[in-house]
Amino acid sequence: MKSPDAGHSDLADACSPPRPSAARNARLKVVGWECLIVAVLGIVLALAANGISPRGLRLTTDYFPRSIQNAAPAIAGATQSPVADATAVALTPAEEVLAARLQAKGLRLVTSDQALQLFRDPRREQELIVFIDARNDWNYQQGHIPGALQFDHYRAADYLAAVLPLCQTADLIVVYCTGGDCEDSEFAAIFLNQAGVPAEKLLVYAGGMAEWTTRGLPVEIGARHSGNVPPDHP
Amino acid sequence: MDFAAVLGRWFLGALFVYMGLSKAMEPVEFLKLVREYQLVQHPLLLNSLAATLPWFEVFCGLLLILGVAVRGSAVMLLLMLIPFTLVVLQRALAMQAELSIPFCAVKFDCGCGAGEVLICRKLVENGALILLSLWLLTGLGRRWSARYSLLQAE
Repeated sequence: MKSPDAGHSDLADACSPPRPSAARNARLKVVGWECLIVAVLGIVLALAANGISPRGLRLTTDYFPRSIQNAAPAIAGATQSPVADATAVALTPAEEVLAARLQAKGLRLVTSDQALQLFRDPRREQELIVFIDARNDWNYQQGHIPGALQFDHYRAADYLAAVLPLCQTADLIVVYCTGGDCEDSEFAAIFLNQAGVPAEKLLVYAGGMAEWTTRGLPVEIGARHSGNVPPDHP
Repeated sequence: MDFAAVLGRWFLGALFVYMGLSKAMEPVEFLKLVREYQLVQHPLLLNSLAATLPWFEVFCGLLLILGVAVRGSAVMLLLMLIPFTLVVLQRALAMQAELSIPFCAVKFDCGCGAGEVLICRKLVENGALILLSLWLLTGLGRRWSARYSLLQAE
């Protein structure tokens, strides 16, 4: 690209030096053009770097879906669900607020006691009750609920092939993440629903790993079924 | 003075390369942090912002280190630093009101690439970076530049 001043000859500059204001304007113009070039080139290269990077984001994916589509039937069926019959417990006021928020998204809450009951249910051994860990690989490897499958919805394509068949045959799917403010279990549950898993199977254990470990419940380290469950956990 | 400005240019460039890479290596975490600012709602815009900003920082940082388009890069840094500092301030004020704690006790991960930071420290740091960028705009720091200005041979 040519400079706006490119037409000026050295002789002309020497004979008639630009007025200070004209020189300042010319300098501003040059800097303005430079900004534009840096901005355009930077954005193009940044998009290319994101596209090439194995950790790059998919620009068109909605990583934070608001709710399950056609959520009404799932909510209506919630009271007849196996978990409601088998593990009904009184909710604390905070849990009631959380349950209502999840219900608005077409999801159902399981409390810590309910999650433990489902964990001890013999159907879990038959993979009719499946636990899904919605955290990233590093967190999963550090420790997860024994037997839980990993489904990091930000890298959905890497996990769906392993997770979907089990979800399709399971009766109940308990999705959890870190706990606290973590919403990834909700997003992961909605992703699973979008991939074809019926909403009535999906349960969100909002307490997540934080609550699970605080209660001293078993934690499996490394890969699924690694058998590495430290003895300090019951 | 020019030598000091060159050091400032290298420091600013290296800092942006480091901060940019630390975000680019964990794009999902950065995406979550950007979402918390509620700057944009549409997934395409949100993802584009989170995907490009870290690499754009790396790019501008490299330009500063190499001494290419120095003033244009400095303006770009200002265009990132000033709005970002304002939204961080806005969020810190909201957190202060919510938690009823002294302003300087507000601490959170602002998405700057350095994890959780105390807000007052972050504002001072950003203020210093803004001043440094402005200083580079004055035309100092030309020594050891590959091409100080893209459009003028200097």
